[in-house]
Amino acid sequence: MKKILIADDKATSRELLRTVLERQGYEVMEAADGEEALQKALAEVPDLILLDLQMPRRTGYEVLGELRKDARHATLPIIALTASAMRGDRERALAAGFTSYMAKPVPLVQLREEVQRLLQTKE
Amino acid sequence: MPNQSAELFAPEGDMTHQDPKAPGAARLESSLESRYRKLLHAVPDAILEVDQEGRITILNEAAERMFGYTRAEFLGLNVETLVPAAMRSGHAKHRSSYAEHPNTRPMGTGLELQGQRKDGSLFPVEISLSPNWIEGSLHVIASVRDITGRKAVENRLRSLREQYTAELTLKNEQLEARNREVERANSLKTEFLASMSHELRTPLHTIIGFSELLGEQLEGPLTDKQQRFVGHILQDARHLLELINEILDISKIESGRLELKRESFDFNACVEEVMAGIRYQAATKNITLENKNAFHDSLYADRVRLKEILYNLLNNAVKFTPERGRVWIEAARQGDALHISVCDTGIGIPEREQPSIFEKFYQVGDSTAGVREGTGLGLPITKHLVELHGGSISVASQPGKGSSFRLVLPLIQEQAA
Repeated sequence: MKKILIADDKATSRELLRTVLERQGYEVMEAADGEEALQKALAEVPDLILLDLQMPRRTGYEVLGELRKDARHATLPIIALTASAMRGDRERALAAGFTSYMAKPVPLVQLREEVQRLLQTKE
Repeated sequence: MPNQSAELFAPEGDMTHQDPKAPGAARLESSLESRYRKLLHAVPDAILEVDQEGRITILNEAAERMFGYTRAEFLGLNVETLVPAAMRSGHAKHRSSYAEHPNTRPMGTGLELQGQRKDGSLFPVEISLSPNWIEGSLHVIASVRDITGRKAVENRLRSLREQYTAELTLKNEQLEARNREVERANSLKTEFLASMSHELRTPLHTIIGFSELLGEQLEGPLTDKQQRFVGHILQDARHLLELINEILDISKIESGRLELKRESFDFNACVEEVMAGIRYQAATKNITLENKNAFHDSLYADRVRLKEILYNLLNNAVKFTPERGRVWIEAARQGDALHISVCDTGIGIPEREQPSIFEKFYQVGDSTAGVREGTGLGLPITKHLVELHGGSISVASQPGKGSSFRLVLPLIQEQAA
């Protein structure tokens, strides 16, 4: 079973993402801030990470930066999730090394398709 | 010898021993010498002749008035007596250096020269020097002009100029401070809007997500009524999202922070993409959607913003067109511009409302009955975006027949931009 790490400081958002992804048949891990996301990802490498950009302790960018230094995470699909949705955010995220970018609110159809696409590409 | 010449150049009035009416005087009056003497005394500048030792040998009446010495006091007086004490020591040196290059020239160019009156008071002067060789001995003729009046005017002018400059500087500083304030307020506003947008979108993410989830009925079936309710939540949440996006856009436009990112792209492909995005909405109302574009070149514009323009117009067209109507895009090059029309066979816009539709928050009145309300910001944003591209937008419409929104976009070359 593919394992997905959801990092988001909002519990309701984590529940939404978990519900959708578990229905798709993925195993879900959760992290409520950047530091926890980093520790969990390093301890147990998931198949994909959904990383909120604005989190306490460590931002999504900082977590990404740390993870990309680790060989096991160098090419791991990591999706940036953000509610800021300012123009240029996507370009900035992709330039920083995120595999993909999604603006909140994310239509569920898009979320499912994107996760599936990235996991298939990975294989 | 000095006394002789002094006597010669004394003003006539002083020569009391000579009766001007006497025949001898008449001879003197008409003589060239007399005429020169009158000339000398008529000059408003003080004229002095100084011998090699610096003694005053000749003077005119103006010199007496200017320095306050009588003629008798003047004669034989060392010229340095007329020089302020502070500058006196240097004067002798200047005199000897003049002797080396005796020519007619102003004295002490660039210096603020001063004369000293008998009473010790000082006044600004301008002095012109000329050599006068007398029997192999260098005399110097000094023409001294009292420039007190001119200095006063100059000083007044300078102080006025300084005052104005100071006032101007102050005003400029105030203006700059104000500008900085406005800029700061503007950037605070943008920051505020960005964070507000973020804060509003965060709960909308879960409201819309959970509503979608409920609507999918994967967690259990809903009654028709429940399904309708969930649909309402979704629809209004999406409307709220649209409002947030558009308010952010309009405020960016108004603060001048929305900048175009121009690039060259395939215009027709862009039209196709926008049409694909609206196809679903059109299909649910059985509306025919057509691309009648005749411009198959690349366009240099902000691709994202152009798509937004076309999407807004197409979205309106579909929204205000009844079932089984038609919506289409026409585009063609005309001269140096690209003309684009987004047309529909919809309910149209009454003529009296046409000028208002590009205003913020304007909603077309009775005619839109039955149509879900928009944000009232779509057309104002569209107009701004078109104008940012240097283009214009207008509308032609007949109620009951349809509307046509016409864009004129200047075709800009990538190199030229």
